[in-house]
Amino acid sequence: MNTIALVGNPNSGKTTLFNALTGSNQHVGNWPGVTVEKKEGNFKFNEKIYNVVDLPGTYSLGAFSEDEIVARDFILRGNPDIVINVVDSTNIERNLYLTTQLLEMGAKVIVALNMIDEAKARNIEVDIDTLSKKLGAPVIPTIASKKKGIDELIKKSVELMDEETDYKAHISYGENIDREVERLKGFLTDKNLEYPPQWIAIKLLEGDEYIHELIKENEDLNFPDDFKNAIHEFNKNREDYELEIIDKRYEFINNITNVTVKLPDQAKETLTDKIDKILTHKYFGLPIFGLIMFIVFQLTFAVGEDLFGELTVTGIEFLGKIIGNFLIKINASDWIVSFVTEGVIGGVGAVIEFIPLIIILYMLMGLLEDSGYMARAAYVMDNIMRALGLQGKTFISMIVGFGCNVPGIMATRTLEDKKDRMIATLINPFMSCGARLPIYLMFIAAFFPNRGGLVLFSLYFLGILVALLTGKLFSKTLFKGEPSYFIMELPPYRKPTIRNVLRNMWDNVSEFLKRAGTTIFIVVTILWILAVLPRGVEPYSQDSILGKIGMFIAPIFKPAGFGTWQAAVGLFSGIAAKEAVVAILGMVYAGVEEGAELVTALQGAFTPLSAAAFMIMTLLYTPCAAALATIKKETNSYKWPIFTALYTFFIGWIGAVLVFQIGKLLGFS
Amino acid sequence: MLKEVLQEINHANYISKANIALKLNKSEALIEEAFSQLARMGYIKEDDMSSCNSQCNRCAFASLCNKIPVKTVIITEKGEKLLNR
Repeated sequence: MNTIALVGNPNSGKTTLFNALTGSNQHVGNWPGVTVEKKEGNFKFNEKIYNVVDLPGTYSLGAFSEDEIVARDFILRGNPDIVINVVDSTNIERNLYLTTQLLEMGAKVIVALNMIDEAKARNIEVDIDTLSKKLGAPVIPTIASKKKGIDELIKKSVELMDEETDYKAHISYGENIDREVERLKGFLTDKNLEYPPQWIAIKLLEGDEYIHELIKENEDLNFPDDFKNAIHEFNKNREDYELEIIDKRYEFINNITNVTVKLPDQAKETLTDKIDKILTHKYFGLPIFGLIMFIVFQLTFAVGEDLFGELTVTGIEFLGKIIGNFLIKINASDWIVSFVTEGVIGGVGAVIEFIPLIIILYMLMGLLEDSGYMARAAYVMDNIMRALGLQGKTFISMIVGFGCNVPGIMATRTLEDKKDRMIATLINPFMSCGARLPIYLMFIAAFFPNRGGLVLFSLYFLGILVALLTGKLFSKTLFKGEPSYFIMELPPYRKPTIRNVLRNMWDNVSEFLKRAGTTIFIVVTILWILAVLPRGVEPYSQDSILGKIGMFIAPIFKPAGFGTWQAAVGLFSGIAAKEAVVAILGMVYAGVEEGAELVTALQGAFTPLSAAAFMIMTLLYTPCAAALATIKKETNSYKWPIFTALYTFFIGWIGAVLVFQIGKLLGFS
Repeated sequence: MLKEVLQEINHANYISKANIALKLNKSEALIEEAFSQLARMGYIKEDDMSSCNSQCNRCAFASLCNKIPVKTVIITEKGEKLLNR
């Protein structure tokens, strides 16, 4: 039975073509000795059955991976009658590298120029006849997904099987290498090695380990000393030969595609490059990044608060009243009514009130991410990080930390150097995660309603600044050494899609809601019990268990201006989960002043200055338990989460005290 | 061409394949292929920030994880040697 091998780059449509050729007549196995899947099938043409072998998708036929070795071994030793090389028409130049290697092997190649419809849709014009002439192989346009061109491909394959063909396309590797190939070929001819002499000669010069081994294993073939000396000499300059050969293949491809493939306007500065000249400018890049983030925060307040804020608050109040009345109506016990209205609605509801703002913020961040701007932000920050002696890639984990510190810390895995990774891990908690947002939003609503964007921007900026300075300190003390160097690839800008932006927003908001319904609910329940016990004391008072815990901690925060037991238990609960701060403040203040809005209660308990100090404490102090557990997991030590919990608390406390005390000295209240 | 691309990577502040293609008068697809080749040969190391060992479907934080399409390139010791030759 005649055999046809299918070979092509991954995503060239090879498997679709295989299915189009063989239909349901296929079976799957494994290539001997490796875990690479082997797919075989057959088709009938003119009453004759042809076997089709789908080789693993590969970009090259070197010896860099199992897939490459399997594919090239089958072509050279499996004796296929025809090799159909599936080429993606939208990416011809890239795909032709494999084609050149097939031609070097002397295989009978037919090129299936697949996805030709997509190439046309992208205004890529291919001169198929000239391409075929230049390659020395038939080229058949196909659309495998629509089964177009398949009959012609089969017909041509069968025709070619019976034709005597030669290696037609000649790739010149330059005078020097061509001469060496010929010389080596002379030694190899008549040795009956399992591969063609010309191909072995090229591979020897390329430094292919597998072929060098093959020669060593066949020492009994009595190669002359001249041959052995030549191999020894080539080995000395192996890299030069390898690069030269590969370059010549590219030159061959370039020469062909220059006259056969016409791409839509490429040879001019792209819009992306023009925009990047401004957005990544040495001096303007950073202020532009700052300005963009400032606009994002301003818009968050303008759209989220002004348009939907009131609506959500009224909705939650309305829901609370309905549920409360219902519980009273069905004669539910006082503690159930108290738990539901003050604990759950007052606590969890206080967190949910900020959903509209969070939706808007994450939609805007999604727009920036999807457009490709956030990669530029990382690049702009990379320059500053380097100037501070920090690894630039750290900023990427920091940006991830804006959503949640847990994946932010996990993202530090991409840093190769352990020292860089440790610094990135330890400073990530200063990135203001989404869970801290409701705390800021609540205090902004109470004290800075007209400067929301500016306050939020300043907090995020401060978080970055403290992270950078702390990172610098660590790199000079705990983790000394030079940061490793890398270059960032900036993807082209693209039009953000509504789907991606909405998905990004939903991922964050659903996570937020999920936590409100699970972690926050559990924390609120536990702390509600502590706030109403022991029996007989005034619930939510300083005499309750929660009040006593708060009273014990509160003096620490006196120099920062918020030495109340409520603020203390709020911060304390934030170590379990940051959203819990708002939930607990909502619960304890709702309990004290029944029916009073949390914002009004805060205005009575804090001053603008102590509110600012509280926000700074929230931004910088001990991260949540999940983040600490992740630090333990990533560092494989208890030492670092304990260190992080303590040093961040200290920095947060210092920051809050400094703001309050300096503010007081300056006459703020 | 491979050495030229490596030199461009070395001199660039950031990588724009379109820019390199323009400078070397090659198509972007060919430059893309050259990057893959350099990586295959061990002259550069490309990192698409996906080197996290956790399986996303088992990770509670997958939805919040890195969505920023940032790819980085490091010139390896082998690449440095080639540049210095």
